[in-house]
Amino acid sequence: MNYLKHKWEECRAVAFVTYKEWSAYRTHSLVSVFVGPVYFIVQYFIWTAVYGDSGSLAGMELTQMIRYFGVSALIGYLTMDFADWNLQMLVRTGKFLTFMLRPVHHRFFALSQKIGHRILGFFFEFLPCLLIFHFLFRINIVPARMLWTILSVMLAFLMNFYVNYCIGMTAFYLVQAGGVRAVYQLISQIFSGALIPLSFFPETVQWIMTFLPFQYTNYIPAMVWIGNKSIGQMGFTIPQAVMHQTIAVLIVMVFSEVLYRASVKKFTAVGA
Amino acid sequence: MMSHVKIYLTCLRTSFSQAAAYRADFLMSNLITLLSNILFPLATILIYTNGAEFTGWSMWEVLLIQSVFSMSSGVATMVCSSILWVTMDHVRQGSFETVLLKPISPLFFILSAHFDTSGIGLFAGGLTLTIISSVHVGVVAFGNVVQFLILFLAGLIVLCGLDLVMAAISFRWVGNSRIPEIFDSMKEFGKYPLVIFPKGVRIVASFVIPVAMVGFFPASALLGKIGAWTFLSVIPCVLFLIFGVWIYNRMIKLYEGVGG
Repeated sequence: MNYLKHKWEECRAVAFVTYKEWSAYRTHSLVSVFVGPVYFIVQYFIWTAVYGDSGSLAGMELTQMIRYFGVSALIGYLTMDFADWNLQMLVRTGKFLTFMLRPVHHRFFALSQKIGHRILGFFFEFLPCLLIFHFLFRINIVPARMLWTILSVMLAFLMNFYVNYCIGMTAFYLVQAGGVRAVYQLISQIFSGALIPLSFFPETVQWIMTFLPFQYTNYIPAMVWIGNKSIGQMGFTIPQAVMHQTIAVLIVMVFSEVLYRASVKKFTAVGA
Repeated sequence: MMSHVKIYLTCLRTSFSQAAAYRADFLMSNLITLLSNILFPLATILIYTNGAEFTGWSMWEVLLIQSVFSMSSGVATMVCSSILWVTMDHVRQGSFETVLLKPISPLFFILSAHFDTSGIGLFAGGLTLTIISSVHVGVVAFGNVVQFLILFLAGLIVLCGLDLVMAAISFRWVGNSRIPEIFDSMKEFGKYPLVIFPKGVRIVASFVIPVAMVGFFPASALLGKIGAWTFLSVIPCVLFLIFGVWIYNRMIKLYEGVGG
């Protein structure tokens, strides 16, 4: 119990400092208040034109599709992460050494930082855009099943962090991991469903995606949020989809720890 | 004039020498850009393979718009995207004096000294897809190609104008690396058939911030789908560039040298 209390205090302290630090750049976050709605407007017109008189495409109606893109943008604000960039920078410059000397696991420190950073994102990106989508664009943005949605978004938050952290750990082997990060971001953008819902992909691709982490960062939480009754190629119900998401997150967490233990042995602290 | 050409060519050689020094990084970043170009039109392909369409536009016609957009972005990245990043960096660090001390125009110096080779992959990917799309939509008449080149050039002017406006903003909004996102979101309107957007958006995208000139209009010229009035849109493109140069030079005067 004392251990958990101690961890909570650590997390709260780091998150608070990160929140304060990034508050100095809160106007940067407010860029999202313009960018998010503009991207949404583009998607709105694209999909309105694409649907035309069609009632349903890839199992989704136009209103669901519009909600999907609105919700995807909002989830992006809550789960946004650059732990990969941060870690590879620390390894490349040798500054990671300072974290090895601290009595706190760097991954936990980075997760706490992300929590603080995203709390700021919640106030300066998520809330303004949610209000714009709901009151200006008149989209029904209220989650169909609130508790499942909160759980799913939290899991997406963790999944995004842990996968990015694993990508960042490639710096222990490559020093300069910019290329790997770029490749991952490219693949992730496509297969997370941020570009287009995964139901538009061929069934084989959708089936493969069930075993990869991408869809658990965006597509699944977005589908849970809009309350789709049949999610993904396997036709999961909402509880089943969240359960799969939980299992996927647990697997990635274990993988992250195994990779960390192997990677940290490669660290020379020389910098480059 | 000749001295400016010499300076530019010398700087260009230096840029390629720098890229050659980090060959692996150069190849990797360009390969990734090339791959992202192949995957970028995936949404359009998936829309059409699922039986939907943009009414009046075939899949290859829409892909042509998007590939011309990529090609244009590739050239703009090479030639003028550096103006934003270099200005932003100097202003943030308070080191813009090093640019101001040079015996040539600050704008020309930055453009010459920072040719961005990472745009090569983007251009190559766009060009490849443009050729493939052109083959699929049918034989293109010579007159259409000439029209395309004029409008393509106008599109480049728009992108350079956008970079200048963004760089000018960075003098006031110090160190905000998210400035490009604002303009990137606006550029989205140039990647799709303009007819799908309402009239107000069409007017803005054609005459106010003419992003339709980056992809839609040049591709439409290749397809023979434009009227003479389209060339009127070249005027706001030129005006937009003039505005960009004016505002950039004006904002230089506001530079305080304190960083941020």
